[in-house]
Amino acid sequence: MADGPPILEMRGIRKAFPGVVALDGVDLTLEAGAVHMLLGENGAGKSTLMKILSGAYTKDAGDIRINGQAAEIRSPRDALALGIRVIYQELNLVPQLSVAENIFLGEAPVRWGGVVDWPALYERTSRLLTDLGLPLDPRALVSRLGIAQRQMVEIAKALSGSTFAKASVDKAASAGQSASVLVMDEPTSSLTSREVTQLFALIQRLAARGVAIVYITHRLDEVFRIGHRITVMRDGRVVATRPIQDVTIPELVRMMANRDLADHFPKVRADRGDELLRVENVGGGPLSGITFSLHAGEVLGIAGLLGAGRTELARIVAGADRCKEGRLFVRGREVRFRDPDDAIAHGIGLLPEDRKAQGLVPGLTVARNIALPHGRRLARFGILSRHCETALASPIVADLRVKATPTQTVRLLSGGNQQKVVLGKWLAGDVRIFICDEPTRGVDVGSKVEIYNLMNRLTARGAGIIMISSELPELLGMSDRILVMHRGRLHAEIAAADATEERVLSAALGLAHSTSSGQARSTGSGQAHSTGSGQAHSTSSGQAHSTSSGQAS
Amino acid sequence: MIVPARQFGTLIGLLALCAILWILTPHFMTVSNLLNVAEQTSINAIVAVGMTFVILSGGIDLSVGSIVALSGVVLGTSLQAGHSLAVAMPLSLAVGLLCGIANGALVSWGGLPPFIVTLGTMSIARGAALLFTEGRPVSGFDPSFRVLATGRLGFVPAPVIETTVVYAVAHFVLARTTFGRYVYAIGGNEEATRLSGVSVRFHKTMIYGVSGLMSALAAVILTARLNSAQPIAGMMYELDAIAATVIGGTSLMGGDGTLAGTLVGALIMGVLRNGLNLLGVSSFLQQIVIGAVIVVAVLIDTVLKRKNRT
Repeated sequence: MADGPPILEMRGIRKAFPGVVALDGVDLTLEAGAVHMLLGENGAGKSTLMKILSGAYTKDAGDIRINGQAAEIRSPRDALALGIRVIYQELNLVPQLSVAENIFLGEAPVRWGGVVDWPALYERTSRLLTDLGLPLDPRALVSRLGIAQRQMVEIAKALSGSTFAKASVDKAASAGQSASVLVMDEPTSSLTSREVTQLFALIQRLAARGVAIVYITHRLDEVFRIGHRITVMRDGRVVATRPIQDVTIPELVRMMANRDLADHFPKVRADRGDELLRVENVGGGPLSGITFSLHAGEVLGIAGLLGAGRTELARIVAGADRCKEGRLFVRGREVRFRDPDDAIAHGIGLLPEDRKAQGLVPGLTVARNIALPHGRRLARFGILSRHCETALASPIVADLRVKATPTQTVRLLSGGNQQKVVLGKWLAGDVRIFICDEPTRGVDVGSKVEIYNLMNRLTARGAGIIMISSELPELLGMSDRILVMHRGRLHAEIAAADATEERVLSAALGLAHSTSSGQARSTGSGQAHSTGSGQAHSTSSGQAHSTSSGQAS
Repeated sequence: MIVPARQFGTLIGLLALCAILWILTPHFMTVSNLLNVAEQTSINAIVAVGMTFVILSGGIDLSVGSIVALSGVVLGTSLQAGHSLAVAMPLSLAVGLLCGIANGALVSWGGLPPFIVTLGTMSIARGAALLFTEGRPVSGFDPSFRVLATGRLGFVPAPVIETTVVYAVAHFVLARTTFGRYVYAIGGNEEATRLSGVSVRFHKTMIYGVSGLMSALAAVILTARLNSAQPIAGMMYELDAIAATVIGGTSLMGGDGTLAGTLVGALIMGVLRNGLNLLGVSSFLQQIVIGAVIVVAVLIDTVLKRKNRT
């Protein structure tokens, strides 16, 4: 697309965190005027790579060249000076200020040593907005704007002080150490389709001016709408970089999913028993029309991308959030949970996604954490006998092989041991329905296997487990069935025998065709072409149908 | 556990303070003076028990001083009207408890910051005490009531015994009951506690209730000692109680601290006041010294904790 050296080159980038190599020799080349799509599963290393580019992280090895010259990015300031701008998913605007104030936050034109020159500020802002073709009022308060408009403000802000808004990209580029790189991390995740169209028009205008754009997304349709080149990452490496016309969707999915199934999962299938839990048409927040059931002895995997609504669903089932729409049944009887206590009373235990923030009281001992849900049962007239908590916890600590004594403070334990303590809370009671949200995140390999073994023992005893996970091998290895969520809905149900990474991933990406069975087609037809609100009904009915047919088979 | 070691530090601070005062003034280390210090400390120490519960749970209670005044004048008025202590004292304790429960309910169900809620109650309870008495002290009770403050068991003043009993009971509650466990759990991680099925709202409400009850208990002793109930009593008690709690090593972030520490903290405050008085330090200068001690004590604590972490 451009002659001469590429505007930005990353070569052999390596970054390791304690215990994980996040990036292992990654190459990425950006060219002026091209929209470069960056794809990969959760945890593939996209965000880490972009954080290195933006100076938020420093690389362990590799070089970055800008216009053919070596550049060092040691801090966000360096990245800004080099003309690299990143727009993150969560927007960083001050809602109480106007568009103009946000765009020039901290750089507003002043006179008389500190008084804001308002006419000049508005004038500069409207010049910038006109230049970028953004239909925004500089005086409008950001709090009044929709999300798409806020995103435009963010883009305008990113482009304001820099070289490229001033329509002099070529000059800046020729000046050497300056790129015009704009990184967008899933910018459309909360936009409506009309807003997406607006954003894409803006991206195309920027590209036409020679800005190099990195666009991170999970939505494959977007790849083909605005992308010029595409890089797929997996497990911290680049799988492939291709011009967009040389790839197809199935190929992309294969590149993202395909991995060595070297990991060994000690899955033991238990007999499937009675229905423990039924969720009917649960909705509210990002969720809508979710229907499924969980049986004794089964591990029900829930797959989906970040933001698909998996955690929201888990929290509703565990009573952590109110169920606003739909009904829940435990062992055939309808239940209403006002708080987690109600859910616990019905034998539901939650292993929350964020163990530090939601699972543990770090300052308490192992025994006291494990005993926390069981205080009422342990105490007599509210008084705890001297060693009752330790007595309750000791067998569990031994059983789970927690490498700590019951009287040790939880704060000092490793991630794997902490997770075992959270699990231990529910082993001490009569919990039969375990909801595990990312049960092995941040857990060492040894503890992972122990957690899997524990899941086997639980299902053998007649418990049912809902396992939410972003790790496909784990889902495939441990689940009996996999539900796939996409944008708040159940998009597919796949039996363990039929599940492949490719199928689960394409369903998670919202693709219909690669899940070949009838149920998936019925779901897909509701969703793939949905643009209006009328589809909600057809999809949810298609869903209910597909779920029940899936169970019958 | 690091906590006992930390308390040990505060205790060493207290002993060092005593040693210095012993050297500086011969009057300090006498039995009568030490009992005097213990007696004077008792009211702050009791208020600080409630404060410790609240701060352990991650909150703050600014209304304790005003609750002391309000439950004090309720007690006084009731005694003045000829009711027996058996009627007046439960009434007064109930007023304190209800004020605390109101604080707690607004914090847990209303979702308001404890600072704001108790700031409001501080003003409301004070105003109610003034309104109730038309701003005048209430006095003229049956003298037998004063035993609560002036009585002695052997040579030990009654307030010292009362404080000891309060600490023993409160320590038992914190260490050996589910309620006590939840105080620490809520302060350590409220969301994890809620997800464990604990009714966080109910327990938080009761924690503020404990604080109100302790203030009312302090009011009973204060009224007995002064032989009158004053609507302007208890001014700045909240600051003394917070200071005692924090000097005693309880973290303002919640979840970490002990009552033993708070008791030592209250004694440090009491010994310091007494010692400065014995040394004839002006009351203006005293304020500066006490303020500096609070800051330095917490600073040392923070620095030590930072070292422990890394």
